[in-house]
Amino acid sequence: MKLTKLFVVLVASLVLSACANGPKISYGDATAVETTTTDFGSTDLQTIAATLVDDLLSFPPITQMTATRRPVMFVDKIKNKTTEHIDTESITDTVQTKILKSGKFRFVDMTAVRQIQEQLNFQMDSGMVDPGKAVAFGKQTGAEFMLYGNMSSIVKRNDSTKDVYYKFTMKMVNLETGIMEWAGEKEIRKTGEKSFFSL
Amino acid sequence: MRTNLIKLAGVAFIASVISACAVNETATVEVGPDGTKQIIESNSGLLAASLEIVDNKVGYSGDLLRVQATIKNDSRSALSFRYKFKWLDKDGFEVAVDGRPWTPLTITPYESKSVQALAPNPTVKAFKILVQD
Repeated sequence: MKLTKLFVVLVASLVLSACANGPKISYGDATAVETTTTDFGSTDLQTIAATLVDDLLSFPPITQMTATRRPVMFVDKIKNKTTEHIDTESITDTVQTKILKSGKFRFVDMTAVRQIQEQLNFQMDSGMVDPGKAVAFGKQTGAEFMLYGNMSSIVKRNDSTKDVYYKFTMKMVNLETGIMEWAGEKEIRKTGEKSFFSL
Repeated sequence: MRTNLIKLAGVAFIASVISACAVNETATVEVGPDGTKQIIESNSGLLAASLEIVDNKVGYSGDLLRVQATIKNDSRSALSFRYKFKWLDKDGFEVAVDGRPWTPLTITPYESKSVQALAPNPTVKAFKILVQD
């Protein structure tokens, strides 16, 4: 009798929890630690960007250089030497945004050169823009520094464990002198172990 | 009837215990621009029982606030948790919301580890460290 009542209570609770039909969709914390797989993920991207930007902006010669002026920089692509498909532009976008928001550097956006040129051509040649209000050619600022980098990985595995080591290196070079003014590295190690049930 | 209520209460208790496994505890320590420490919230079971923020240092890189916190594991087992920095301006408004990720950290028994961060811009005048198990 007692068991029957307990069973009824359990069934009722299951029915109540099943009232919300359809897929369960929820929003999560975008900055939460993500450990779904050992592949490159959002936590790795955010950690790399935060570490390297901190390292760049706290490097004493850079601190001294940016104390009185905001040098102009451009970001080159990050070479992906890992075996994974990684959107490295997403990493450089985050790094660029953080540096720009620090107020220490300004950027020229090489990914928008074609669109800028089209807009300038429109202003100059279309006849639709007041010549007195059109922006002039040849007035853009050249970048003083270039930011670029590499990303590599070492993957090792056995029957039960997969170990992934990522190394992300970023460098800043003076375009006029060719001198490397700064370099920073961030290493990440991720280990995945097969659970008992997935063996 | 009374027996049924007790049973129902028992089931509810078990359900609450199961759901409590996913609880996120957060402890917050705030350091003002003058370097004085002020513990705002320390009701985390993890922090209170095993972890201790033993030291805070505040400095500047140019005009950017640079901070360091030393976290000590007072327990006899290794602890894995996450921490995150939050930045505040002089009026207490959060700067660069979600600008830093939760960062995983493991500390071996009785070891101390220092975590550092640089403020995202010169408007930052104080910071918080959040610890989550």
